[in-house]
Amino acid sequence: MRKILKTREINSFLFLAGLIFLVGLINPSFWQPVTIINCFNDSVVFTFLSAGIAFVILTGEIDVSIGAVLGLSAAVGATLLRDGYGIAAALFAAIFVGAVVGMINGIGVAVLNIPSLIFTLGVNGVVRGIIYVYTKGAWVENLPADFTLMSNRLLTKNVTYFYGAAVLVVIIGHIILTRTRKGKYFVAVGDNSAGATLVGIPADKIKILSYVLCGIFSSVAGMIYASRIGFITPTAGNGYEMKAIAACVLGGLSLTGGVGSLAGASIGAVIMSSISRILVFLGFSSDYDNTITGFLLLTIVVINTSAQNHTVRKNRHEILLVRTAQKGGEKA
Amino acid sequence: MKLSETASQGHSLFTATGITKSFGLNSVLKGIDISVGEREVLALIGGNGAGKSTLMKIIMGIYQPDEGRIFVAGERIHACKPGVSLSKGIYMVPQEPMLFPNMTVEENIIMGFHEKPAKLRKRLKEIMNEINWDLDIFRKAMSLSIAEQQLVEILRGLMRQARVLILDEPTSALTFDEVESLFKIVGDLKKKGIGIIYITHRLTEVFQIATHVAIMRDGVITLKGKISEFTRDMLVKGLLPQDCEETKKQETNEIDYIGLKPAFELIHFSGYGFWDINLKIYPGEILGVAGLVGAGRTEMALTVFGRDKTISGQALLEGMDVTGLSTRAILKAGINYVPEDRRLNGLFTISDVAANITSSLVTGKTMGRIFINKKVEYEIARRYVEGFRIRITGLDQLSGSLSGGNQQKIVIGRSLATGPKLVILDEPTRGIDAAARKDVYGIIHKLKKQGVAVMLISSDMEEIVELSDRAVVVYRGRIRGELKKREITQAGLMAASFGVGEGKQVEI
Amino acid sequence: MKISFSPKLKQVWKKWEFVLTLIILLEIIIFALKNSKFLMPRVLFGSMNDIISICIISLFVTFVMITGGIDIQAGSIVGLSSIILGVAWQDFGFNIWAASCLAMAAAGVCGGISGFFIAYCGVQPMVVTLGGSFLYTGIGLLVSKLSATESYKGIGGFPEGFLRLSKYRLFGIIPFQVIIFLILAVLAYILLHKTRYGREVFLVGVNQNAAEYSGINTRLIIMSTYVLSAVSASVAGIILTSYLGTAKSDIGATLTLPIITAVVLGGTLSTGGKGSVPGTALAAVAIGTLRFGLPLCFKVSQQYLDIPVGILLLVIIIGRALLNRPGLRVKTVIRGRIPHK
Repeated sequence: MRKILKTREINSFLFLAGLIFLVGLINPSFWQPVTIINCFNDSVVFTFLSAGIAFVILTGEIDVSIGAVLGLSAAVGATLLRDGYGIAAALFAAIFVGAVVGMINGIGVAVLNIPSLIFTLGVNGVVRGIIYVYTKGAWVENLPADFTLMSNRLLTKNVTYFYGAAVLVVIIGHIILTRTRKGKYFVAVGDNSAGATLVGIPADKIKILSYVLCGIFSSVAGMIYASRIGFITPTAGNGYEMKAIAACVLGGLSLTGGVGSLAGASIGAVIMSSISRILVFLGFSSDYDNTITGFLLLTIVVINTSAQNHTVRKNRHEILLVRTAQKGGEKA
Repeated sequence: MKLSETASQGHSLFTATGITKSFGLNSVLKGIDISVGEREVLALIGGNGAGKSTLMKIIMGIYQPDEGRIFVAGERIHACKPGVSLSKGIYMVPQEPMLFPNMTVEENIIMGFHEKPAKLRKRLKEIMNEINWDLDIFRKAMSLSIAEQQLVEILRGLMRQARVLILDEPTSALTFDEVESLFKIVGDLKKKGIGIIYITHRLTEVFQIATHVAIMRDGVITLKGKISEFTRDMLVKGLLPQDCEETKKQETNEIDYIGLKPAFELIHFSGYGFWDINLKIYPGEILGVAGLVGAGRTEMALTVFGRDKTISGQALLEGMDVTGLSTRAILKAGINYVPEDRRLNGLFTISDVAANITSSLVTGKTMGRIFINKKVEYEIARRYVEGFRIRITGLDQLSGSLSGGNQQKIVIGRSLATGPKLVILDEPTRGIDAAARKDVYGIIHKLKKQGVAVMLISSDMEEIVELSDRAVVVYRGRIRGELKKREITQAGLMAASFGVGEGKQVEI
Repeated sequence: MKISFSPKLKQVWKKWEFVLTLIILLEIIIFALKNSKFLMPRVLFGSMNDIISICIISLFVTFVMITGGIDIQAGSIVGLSSIILGVAWQDFGFNIWAASCLAMAAAGVCGGISGFFIAYCGVQPMVVTLGGSFLYTGIGLLVSKLSATESYKGIGGFPEGFLRLSKYRLFGIIPFQVIIFLILAVLAYILLHKTRYGREVFLVGVNQNAAEYSGINTRLIIMSTYVLSAVSASVAGIILTSYLGTAKSDIGATLTLPIITAVVLGGTLSTGGKGSVPGTALAAVAIGTLRFGLPLCFKVSQQYLDIPVGILLLVIIIGRALLNRPGLRVKTVIRGRIPHK
């Protein structure tokens, strides 16, 4: 049990809980269940984005094209909806877009061995441009009402269907990644790619799969985004990749891979997207959003890394002292 | 997998024929034929650079050979990825442990298997009981020592129930007891009918457990056969290149210690990995520091060099206190260090030769205060290239494309370029061919003549015997014996390295 | 008729800078053929204004990336410098040049903070500069709140001398900004390729451990590259402010990606250890020429410009990857073979 308490995910969750508690202390009107639940509801887009990119980050890579993928798949899906095709068709098209871009990313990184930051950067540029070509620079509007209203439908007790679905997906994904044999391959590849290859894990295929999953999650996020916002601009999703990466870091993932989980990423997503709302309740104007976000991110990451480095160094020293029998222990 | 199935290939369990492999213009394997049968242990000997690890990676499916075929129990296999080799019953325990640092030992061992975790855990427990190795399987792999990590790798191999097991230098980080355990296991596996390829460069081990031997040098097998057909000298001969005369032990004058002040001294020097070290090195003297891997010698050298904290004690260079100084200050004071792992800590692989040799001079004034004086840089570099006989196409050649021997010479050159009073050499001939080794020994002797004090850290007993004027042996971080020139023998060093007392206790 | 090239000439062919120069020439030729107005010096140099920021900053982000790091906060520092300049001048009465110095100093501090976390605390550059980009963008906004002017309006009305910075043209045609860029390019070149400091930057990037063993203060070197990069961003911000005539906190927002693209295109390895100032400079010019020529000559509108730049980047890096690995057979890769390094 103590092991579970020590995990990074619990740390992130406690941080979130602590945050909510603190805010409520300062402004008790925050402690309304509706308000708190809406923090979660409104994080649904980022939850999908962060969960998607978590697959990639766990394998030790990165993907900075997810914002563009969100934008493109939202544009494609929204256009189909506006032109009268059903929701299923639009969703399918959006997911197809995400999967294709994901596959391209995967091949560039895993097959051609191009550093992931650079390759996804290039893909990001191209996809951003494609959005303009596809939408001819115009907004995609006049989406059917039954689609946009979906974002308001409540599952139970003020929790939206969308967020409920997000939770379900995250739970399933988390279980697959941590409990199934093939699911554990992701973390293995990120922890030690060469070592994974040596024990027979197809590291390349896992990386490609992680990018495809990331693309699909981003496109789902795009459709949800379309439903919530109601229209798509060509700059939709700009900068979202950075926030998603920040969410993962806040949620306990290590950018070098091998550490973390989907659960952590989703908690980080809630934290990231709640910051503006929280600031409002604390009396800060939205002007402070970026500053607080940046400060928060830096603080958490610096403390985390410093603590980690300290522990590693301490362990090393302990082992060495044991060896010279300066501390208890017989074996070398 | 029926072990009794033998094939048209004769009695061989495993055969590789005509394996050829080149990386670019670098021809690493030039047609290798080896085979292992059931109940056989094939000792594969050869220095690094001979191509052993490349051959093993090909067998494991990590690399693909340019030519050649691999057969397991007569069946031809196409090892295009590790999964194929694994499924055919081949498993390699790598020399450098390749564990997953953030997973527990148990997770590390079970990863990659297709059976149910519960069954695997049971089997793991059985194996650990059988070999009597006590390891907390819930520890995270990153907290394990190198020796413990190697144990985990070996456990993985045992769990695999492989038909062919490759052990790549498995004893390099093990204690005496652990080595004995390993040999017992190898014996058990032999009885079970498994074929083992045992890579090592410790000739004593070869005669202890091998049934057959093959010597690899420069990409070809030079000798092979049953172990009973060979003597130790024949094996040593097989390791040297054809045109290399026997290196006679250099007859140097014994140093007259009377009236000589030590160039370097450690007094009750204690730090992480070593304790209460007392030693003196005199100018023009080579002090051999022997011991097993993990004994603490490198840790001591690195602490002197400023890379780790000193806990207590003193380090004196020509009487001046240099304890706990930063690396930069240590370099300035006149100490330099040739790292154990040249790829990791010594070489700038994508920089050119000149930049490498002069890299420790950059912070000084020799090459210019603000601007780099290319002329001076090339002059210095050229001096070392010619003096050390480093084979390059030009000073602007990237050092990563050179052979191991030439790379090592560059790293040594870099450390000597600062004109130090004390040079610490850590495994200076690891992984280089015999000709380069001769050259390095020549360099070391030249240093002696120039009056430089040399600390030679080496796990190669022969090297210590050949070069040292005096020697100390380190066991578990403490000095276990100090030997004067005539006393330095392999037997004495070996015993002391394992903590069995033969040498005298150190006198201050 | 056989022309034999000396071995030195063959080396030039292979150099990446040569390829870049060819690309630029190709672009110029194609654009000029399509629209002769392209070659008019006034027009040609007029285009430089837009991408001078990218050119200047990418020069020094090269230093950062050679050490194996990355800097995605440069864009936000551009805006921060601009607004500090504006607010200091307008609301605090600083002399315009003193305000510029203040902006540069502030940028240096920002770079130093991020550099400290990266070099001394060991946090990954991506994450630190990510946080930095949020933080410095946010601080920029807060600074703009200090001003009497509303933040969306931007501070204007700068003295003529300051505006002349971007208006002055050498020989009547070459804008002063281009001169500044060239001067900085030369300075960066000397710094990186000719000084001790530059050599240390390379060595740290190739192998930080070995550099430590050579007595180099690797952490200070790494931190300093972020300071350089930040100061260069502030210089770009000051120039941009002069050019636009307005100080706003968000003027650098979209610069990050083009900067990284220019550095990578210029031959810098993202893993560190390799890179060159001339390469980056040429790459920045190549990108700029593309972004200028396409709208003018092929009527491509602004928003679509990301595609050709992105495609160029992808083509180059894919091409480089394939060239470095002869004999890569896609079929065997799909079957699961692992290409060796």
